[in-house]
Amino acid sequence: MKSKLTYQVLLLALTLGLTHQSAGQDKGTMLIKNGTVLTITKGTLENTDVLIRDGKISQVGKGLKAPSGAKEIDATGLFVMPGIIDAHSHIGLESINEGTSQVTAEVWQGDAIDPLQMSIYRALAGGCTTSHAMHGSANSIGGQCQTIKHRYGTFLPEELIMQGAPRTIKFALGENPTNHGTRDGLLPQTRMGVEFVIREAFSQAKAYMAEWDKYNKNKTAKGFRGAPPEYSYRLETLGEILKGNIIIHCHSYRADEIYMMLNVCKDFGIKKIVFQHVNEGFKVAPELAAYGAMASVFADWWAYKFEVYYSTAYNATILVRNGVTTSINSDSPDLIRHLYHEAGKTQKYGGLSDDEALSLITINPAKQLGIESRVGSIEVGKEGDITIFKNHPLSIYGVPQYSIVDGIVRFDREKDPADMRLLPDPKAEIDVTLHGQYDEGHDNCLQDVEYLFNDLVGLKN
Amino acid sequence: MRSMLAYSFRICFVLAALVAALPASAQDLAPVSDTYAITGATIVPAPGQKIENGTVLVQNGLITGVGKNISIPADAIIIKADSMFVYAGFIDGYSHVGVNPDNSEKKEKVKYPGNPPPGRAGITPQADVRDFINPTDASIAALRAQGFTVSQIVPHGNMLPGQAAVVLLKGEKADQVTISGNTALYSELSGTPGVYPSTIMGVMAKWRELYRQAAQTKNYQALYASNPTGLERPETDRTLEAFYPVIDRRQSVLFKSEKVLEIQHALTLKTDLGLQVILGDLKEGWPIINKIKNSGAKVLLSLDLPAEMKKEDNAEKKSDERKALDKRKADAIASSTSQAAQFAKAGIVFGFSANTVKPADVRPNLMRMIASGLSEETALAALTTTPAQMLGLSNRLGTVENGKIANLIISDAPYFNKKSKIKYVLVEGTLFSVEDRPKADTGKKADVKGSWSYQTETPQGKGDGKLVIKNENGNYSGTITNSFSGKETEVKDLVVSGNNMSFNYTIDVGGNSLKVDVAVTISGDTLEGSMTAGQYGTFPLNGTRDPK
Amino acid sequence: MKNRFHIVLGAITTIVIGLIWQTEAQSPKGKTGTFALTNATIETITKGTIANGTVILKGGKIVEVGTSVAIPSDAEVIDCNGLKIYPGMIDGGTTVGLSEVGSDKKTQDFNEAGEVVPQVKALTAVNPNSAVIPVTRVSGVTTVIAKPDGGLFPGTAALINLFGYTPDQMYAGFEGVVMNFPNTGRRGFFDRRSDDEIKKAAEKSLKKLDEVWDKAVQYHKLDSAMKGKGLDYYPEMEALLPVVRGERMLMIEVNAAKDIQAVLKWVADRKIRKVALTGVTEGWRVADEIAKAKIPVITGPVIAIPTRDYDRYDQIYANPGLMKKAGVKVAIRTAGTENVRNLPYHAGFAAAYGMSKEDALRAITIEPAEILGVNDKLGSVEKGKNATLIVCDGDPMETKTQIKYVFIDGWMVPMVSRQTLLYDEFLKREPGVSKN
Repeated sequence: MKSKLTYQVLLLALTLGLTHQSAGQDKGTMLIKNGTVLTITKGTLENTDVLIRDGKISQVGKGLKAPSGAKEIDATGLFVMPGIIDAHSHIGLESINEGTSQVTAEVWQGDAIDPLQMSIYRALAGGCTTSHAMHGSANSIGGQCQTIKHRYGTFLPEELIMQGAPRTIKFALGENPTNHGTRDGLLPQTRMGVEFVIREAFSQAKAYMAEWDKYNKNKTAKGFRGAPPEYSYRLETLGEILKGNIIIHCHSYRADEIYMMLNVCKDFGIKKIVFQHVNEGFKVAPELAAYGAMASVFADWWAYKFEVYYSTAYNATILVRNGVTTSINSDSPDLIRHLYHEAGKTQKYGGLSDDEALSLITINPAKQLGIESRVGSIEVGKEGDITIFKNHPLSIYGVPQYSIVDGIVRFDREKDPADMRLLPDPKAEIDVTLHGQYDEGHDNCLQDVEYLFNDLVGLKN
Repeated sequence: MRSMLAYSFRICFVLAALVAALPASAQDLAPVSDTYAITGATIVPAPGQKIENGTVLVQNGLITGVGKNISIPADAIIIKADSMFVYAGFIDGYSHVGVNPDNSEKKEKVKYPGNPPPGRAGITPQADVRDFINPTDASIAALRAQGFTVSQIVPHGNMLPGQAAVVLLKGEKADQVTISGNTALYSELSGTPGVYPSTIMGVMAKWRELYRQAAQTKNYQALYASNPTGLERPETDRTLEAFYPVIDRRQSVLFKSEKVLEIQHALTLKTDLGLQVILGDLKEGWPIINKIKNSGAKVLLSLDLPAEMKKEDNAEKKSDERKALDKRKADAIASSTSQAAQFAKAGIVFGFSANTVKPADVRPNLMRMIASGLSEETALAALTTTPAQMLGLSNRLGTVENGKIANLIISDAPYFNKKSKIKYVLVEGTLFSVEDRPKADTGKKADVKGSWSYQTETPQGKGDGKLVIKNENGNYSGTITNSFSGKETEVKDLVVSGNNMSFNYTIDVGGNSLKVDVAVTISGDTLEGSMTAGQYGTFPLNGTRDPK
Repeated sequence: MKNRFHIVLGAITTIVIGLIWQTEAQSPKGKTGTFALTNATIETITKGTIANGTVILKGGKIVEVGTSVAIPSDAEVIDCNGLKIYPGMIDGGTTVGLSEVGSDKKTQDFNEAGEVVPQVKALTAVNPNSAVIPVTRVSGVTTVIAKPDGGLFPGTAALINLFGYTPDQMYAGFEGVVMNFPNTGRRGFFDRRSDDEIKKAAEKSLKKLDEVWDKAVQYHKLDSAMKGKGLDYYPEMEALLPVVRGERMLMIEVNAAKDIQAVLKWVADRKIRKVALTGVTEGWRVADEIAKAKIPVITGPVIAIPTRDYDRYDQIYANPGLMKKAGVKVAIRTAGTENVRNLPYHAGFAAAYGMSKEDALRAITIEPAEILGVNDKLGSVEKGKNATLIVCDGDPMETKTQIKYVFIDGWMVPMVSRQTLLYDEFLKREPGVSKN
């Protein structure tokens, strides 16, 4: 009865020295001894132990004892921090742009999760345990995103999903949704059009909800006979945004479009919005702070397109100093491997404190994803997502040693067996490289994939 | 050995006149009788059973006698099958056999790609595969030559190509050889490039929406039918109506389910909508056996297997890294090969599907599966009784029994013997002889010159286009286009070597140039291979030669 | 803790610099003259560390380095107490000045039409007023290779100082012909050709390269025979001539292991004298062979994704260290445009993943200078070299380290870029939310 899967996972478990079979939503019990614990929210604790029981942090203190049989990690001389959270990424996804329509609110990245991607393991090896698997930015209202935990080792997409994480959705402003005016006379071609598309979608959703409310009310009346409004998955989803059940994550760059979106939200009574990239967020930082909108930014990316030409690496610092809840994100399978270094750049550009800088990749992105009560800091009761560093994580010499998800070690630098593929292609040739794929200078590595396929397979619409 | 050859020779001789009269031959003369007696054979009526030196009597397309003491009618054509073996004809769980992908239709540009006509978006659930079957298509004879007498045939397409039908592989018009129509709603969870839905996300959302809209329409139509007075007349919508049998649980949905994620997408829809599901052509089911088992979905395993590793001469000289990688590849091949055995061990009942296997690989692949732990009995069941059950046709198909449709295989040795050959196949009493095919000549350079239509499958959906190759005294050149943008690009580094061709071309990606590498293998008028677009990945590509 | 100290220091300096900006003009200018950098820890790179030392810059040169140095009377004294002096950092492969906005072709000047255009020159196309230049230099990267790309021979690269208003002012003493070595290995997972077929295909692509090279050799012979007079105008060959003669470097971009092996053979067969390999992301796979060939390497980007799915996750970070360990001469580059300022971090990652800190620092200072043949002017803090150096508050590879002063060719560069100006303007925006 032992299937090959069990064998494979077992193999992985052995190579990682896991205490449990590592598939799925398993939870572990373990003790991390004597580290410098960077709790983020409760200061830095020297020579401190962290006990994780059944996947949750059960104790933080000195001289803790591990339950018998539980794994122990000696973190003497090491830095113990909460698992890094990336509020903007596209790893572990089969496809990221249903860009065929300016509004595709009904599509959901949870339907396109690819647990086999090496990028998930590599993110873990960079200390990142949770990411926000986002839809791309080809359309003004894109698809719903999914917060995932990097439980690498499973073949089951649902086991990456962070159950209970709030629903989120991607919006996009500026150059990407207007597609440089190449959409053959379709809206939107300008930033004016983007605003209209969003306002129109919300207005239609309002009308749709009203129709259903009316129908549902009438339906109960005695002897009622009539047709229900036609079911629309799209309008229903947009309605959920208006009801406050879905957090908007809005791809944006320029100050004007950010300001526009704030006004749209105000007009439709939408409170939960996180601006993504938001390279010119620094220009409207007071407005963002006043609205309670949050910002998820690059540390230093700029000039890869015109709308980011007038950027500054001091963006994060300006936003933080103005009271905006800010995170540093990757949007890239490379950057997600070293978000700790990206956060460190805010110490160069503006001199944020260690806790401020580390918040940008832990508790702040957790707030932006609505999961701050579960992850993002080392506190009793939170989930056992921990990353252990040699050298301080904000130092260029910081090197992740272990990444732990739900109390299970998913990455162990010493025991890393190099080839971590879960499902090698039995038809593939071996001696092959994809070299020289420099990962610098474009937002959202795959987001513009539709341009590619225009000419590759003919996505000319 | 010698005697066996002699026997087959004799039988060939006996049947010489008949063979000339087979429907597949050039002269379409009918056989002189519809009654056949296969005598002296070892009969395998069903997996695990055996009748030595028995007779199978076939009359008017039905089996009318199986056993040792069968009296042979005077009008019977006798097939002396001494030392031969008779099996029930194989049933292909699903394939496109006899159906050609429709490349001719120029895909029209859609005004609103977000809201295309359903047909343009690959949504034609009401389409019936029987309208697309070409009875003389060579693929039918090729599959039949491997012992397949029945296929569940599905249309080509994207998200919802249409209705499947169970068809006898007789080479006659669909309506004459259909055993059962509308046997399943066929779905491929892939988008249509350029229009909604173009990605897996879009397809999943659209699936749910269509299903819910269909349920809504169905209810309202029922309300209207019961008492239309005072009610707005509901529109008829054949796209939605095609879902009604699925909603009523009278019809299963057959999903193309090769890859580990594809399978799970189908299972997600099964759970979300409560569908009855058949997973078709599984290749990577082995890592998720428990999930598949727990889902209760019906399973058709692929007969296609990855090729075995080539033995290399300088194996010792390999680096440690290379050895480790070879090992992992060999393990992956082994896992694929033992998939059927693993499913059997897990207690999952499965049939086989021939959708992607090259017909000539069917038996060698079955032998590999058996070598890695599958029992012959289970293998035979998966080719006969199990698919018959899945299709609800056990009363007509799957065994050599009185009263069943006369679908039979006659092989010169036990089918699972290494060197056995299928000599004859009877499809509903029509006799087909199987001739050895000459092996393809691989020494020469393939003829690549001319115009080809290709298809490719990417994360963004399927695409297609034209490839035109010129050959001037051995100097190859060419252009590649796609049917959407129609943009023509020169190809570079075009190399033809044996049956292989490779080239590359450069396209514009949002202002940056991107090199696309293509490598294909040519066999006759088809090509198969893949394209790699830098970091965006590698995608399968296949094509056919355009008629001159 | 040490960290805290640095942060406090950083914060104070930020405030100080902020104050300076507020009081100075919006576009401060560079200035030159005689400078005395005193009380500094001097990391010479080539001659060890000098504690509490002084560096005198005069006439564009470093005229004194040491502990007991007389300060010229006309010197502007900069007290570097608590600060460190390093040579300016050198990036051996960028498109700085050749590309302004990544997605806009109209702003890109590194890719000329044609497979063989070695005669086109990066030096004359660099935009001295690119917004990228100040952004890069205030982070301590003073000198970069501006490199053409695309095709077999995309052009001639130049080493430029990131200060100056004309190519002549920026030129840092090196030009090299760029070559992109054809891909000779398997092209991707799809590539089903047999080894023999691959060999043949590789031979074909190399044939084109050989054809160009053979012509260049022929041109050299005829030109020599005619003593440089009388050959027809042939710009491609004229550009390759100094390469054939070993007077100018051939910078060969190559990455995959098999291609690197092919390059080594190609170079050896033709006895090409002045060569550097660039890219070399899979150098670790064939490091011994590169070392044996004694060909230097300018590798990078280091902060990137491994080239193969089955590679160890940190393989590309470890690549420079592994090559160095095998005895290869290694410089590190970013291969970037707008974020060449991150050069020290690429070196820092190499150091975090196996290279020694000293070697990593050398790989962005003296090693590229030596490889490019400008080590008489650049790459270390030594008497007689160009006054191109930086003053910072710590290890320049460390992320939070602040660069305090940058000198390029004796010019004290204003520590201002568009990015710092925006910081200035928007840290406390006036007006805030309400205008009144």
